[in-house]
Amino acid sequence: MNKFILGAISALTLSAGAALAEYPEKEIQGIIQWGAGGSTDTVMRSVTPHAEEALGGTIVMQNMTGGVGAIALNHVADSDADGYTLLMGAENPLLYKVMGLGDKDYSDFTPISILARGTPMLVANVDAPFNDYAEMMAYIKENPGEVRFGATGPGGLPSVVTGMITSVEGGLDVISVPYDGDGPALTALQGGAIDVMPAVLGAAIEGIRAGNMKPLAVFDVEANAKLPDVPAVTSFNDGYSTYLPWGPFFGVFVANGTPDDVVAKLGAAYAEGAKNDEFIKLMDDRGFTMMGISGQEAQDFLTKWQQGTTWLLQDAGLTKASPEDFGIARPGE
Amino acid sequence: MTALWDFLTVFTQPQLLLLVGLGTFAGVYVGAIPGLSVTMAVSILISFTFSWDVYPAISLMIGIYMGGVYGGSRTAILLNIPGAPSAIATALDGYPLAKRGEAGQAIGVTTVMSFIGGFVGIGVLALAAPLVSDFALRFQPRDYMLLAVLGILLVGSLSQGSLVKGIFAGALGIAIGAVGRDPLTFTERFTFDLQIMTGGVSFIAVMIGMFGVSEALLQLHHVDKDAVRQKITRIVPSLSTVRKHLPLSLQTSTIGVVIGALPGTGGDIAALMAYDHAKRVTKNPERAFGDGAMEGLVAPETANNAAVGGAFIPMMTLGIPGDAVTAIMIGALFIHGLNPGPMLMIDQPDMFWFIVGALVTANIFMLIFGLTGIRLFTKIVEMPRSVLIPLIMLLSIVGAYAVNNSLTDVYWMLGFGVFGYFMRHYGYPLGPVILGVILSRLLDDNWRRAIISEREDFWRFMGGVVSSPLSLTLLIAVILIFVSQTPLWSRGKARLFRKKES
Repeated sequence: MNKFILGAISALTLSAGAALAEYPEKEIQGIIQWGAGGSTDTVMRSVTPHAEEALGGTIVMQNMTGGVGAIALNHVADSDADGYTLLMGAENPLLYKVMGLGDKDYSDFTPISILARGTPMLVANVDAPFNDYAEMMAYIKENPGEVRFGATGPGGLPSVVTGMITSVEGGLDVISVPYDGDGPALTALQGGAIDVMPAVLGAAIEGIRAGNMKPLAVFDVEANAKLPDVPAVTSFNDGYSTYLPWGPFFGVFVANGTPDDVVAKLGAAYAEGAKNDEFIKLMDDRGFTMMGISGQEAQDFLTKWQQGTTWLLQDAGLTKASPEDFGIARPGE
Repeated sequence: MTALWDFLTVFTQPQLLLLVGLGTFAGVYVGAIPGLSVTMAVSILISFTFSWDVYPAISLMIGIYMGGVYGGSRTAILLNIPGAPSAIATALDGYPLAKRGEAGQAIGVTTVMSFIGGFVGIGVLALAAPLVSDFALRFQPRDYMLLAVLGILLVGSLSQGSLVKGIFAGALGIAIGAVGRDPLTFTERFTFDLQIMTGGVSFIAVMIGMFGVSEALLQLHHVDKDAVRQKITRIVPSLSTVRKHLPLSLQTSTIGVVIGALPGTGGDIAALMAYDHAKRVTKNPERAFGDGAMEGLVAPETANNAAVGGAFIPMMTLGIPGDAVTAIMIGALFIHGLNPGPMLMIDQPDMFWFIVGALVTANIFMLIFGLTGIRLFTKIVEMPRSVLIPLIMLLSIVGAYAVNNSLTDVYWMLGFGVFGYFMRHYGYPLGPVILGVILSRLLDDNWRRAIISEREDFWRFMGGVVSSPLSLTLLIAVILIFVSQTPLWSRGKARLFRKKES
């Protein structure tokens, strides 16, 4: 009997060792948290083929939408932690807990690579009676409750940006009109259904170039190379430096418990893939800032991001539950 | 002159021609299988064509798109299972034709009409794209809401038999569409604290269940009956048939282009609205609607193919997707290093004319593939029921699973299939349920957006409606169509015309 157990164990370790040595020995599933054609989808579909080359394996990507991305997140969390199911996601799972959208977030995952981050900015309808951030704030003060801001639901980029404005300026009396995403909201902006939209720079840049919408301010500490003439919001009010730079990001994750060498292999593959010239050009064209971080650095980035953003939303009164309940410390504490 | 050259790119390069043809052929079959959607096919192609040049990649996608929108009508006519949401209206008169043994003729008419509709859509795209996209941008949330109300009034024409049962079915559909996390505030609605409900009910699963499974269950009653022999002597419709329906097809194509160009609506709503329009304007159909009227095939099929050209209009002029497929194509253009947006037509006009050329080619291929192979397809309905029914069940399950790779959707699909069977059994129409599910979000989201924009003040909202010509026109249309369905209308009309006739 003892011999049998020993044999079984050695067989297991042998086969396990063999499996690890050959990773990937079968197709890897890449679960994209958002719909086809969106930012996350575009980023993942353009970097992954290069990562596949470096990895020497096949990554089959599929979109799994619904529940603000929670369905995909739960799916990957419930899959075997063997590195054959990747989560390709954006920043919002870090807000699930405080927004009451789910009980899992990236703390259940190991980051393979945080690829890039976007820069938020404020754009306005071309006919809006203000031309920059200062004029907009003045106009809102004169006409409280009249200006229409686009939104994408609680926890979305616009809610964080308006939360920042509320904290820094001590209030923001506007109408917040919810849309399904920044695409539909920017369409509505051009049609005049809303006046101002906080959007990621990459989504707005083509509309600005064509003169279909006007930029008010970039939400960063300095102007963006893509739009050098648009002032940074800190040049209007230095109070924003507390929160900035801030932005949505894209990353590839595996469930916690995935063997370290698999994580390392995947991390190396994505790091290599992100160095591809075509990918860099694509990200640059869309105004994304390359990050390409992994390991502890990525872990720290996620923790800091979550602390800053959840407490910002908490202070703006937008959360369902306090970050404290989940052990998310206030930044600086 | 360069525009003409760009337009002809596809014709002059055999490789591109082949890819468009291949795409169209694949599209017809992908579209015909319920649950396998064009959206899915195109998003798979993005990874697949990643390393290709941009022209071949786009050629293949456009072929699949054009073929797929058309392909949905095949199973709608032959099996009463729409291959895609845009073919729901096609089933209403197409399937009765197949039951009479005239499936061949129905497919023939459908193909030619899809071809005509496709051309109208492409024509508008090529000649008036900036004009139409300006118009489409002008639609405010309140206009989308009024459009949805207009759509809900279609319940009247989709309910064969009892209007009361139709209204019940439509309301049920709207309620089903509201299940899950509300997309605007993420509040849970009708979820009863069940994890499974928070994702909502997949509308494709409802459609496949209600049409596919319920059809299979219904056919179990006649499992011994011989299948209807299909007449396939006359497939290509005569010139006089085409000419007869030409005025209607041009009207419904226009509906298709406009609805397709609106960023919030697509071919499914366009086809249903076109069907309703046909029912209104056709004074004396040879056969009653719902009983195999040709007009009932012409209208939705021209409209949904015209919507393809329509969907490209905001994509090419503004970088705004007209529907889910063009949304993915925008992503594909990004990946291939282009910047789709309002500047694309100025920076890279060749791309615009190339896409127009590829669409024209795909449309021609669609006509060719549509008119051949019908014999083989009609054999499907001539299969013994003991084989056909399990096949329908299999297709339905695979289709429902494939939409989101979710087993939950299969359960929903089966549940709605059984439910749909009982609904049919007791004379409740299924069309309005699907209509309700499609329109539920359009109505709900836009009503809330509209009223939120007016600081939740109803009178300010009405002021906005009355002061905008577009909203006012839509409101008047809603009122007119509503009144025309009540007894008040026929009484009033009778009184008005009595004097003249006497």
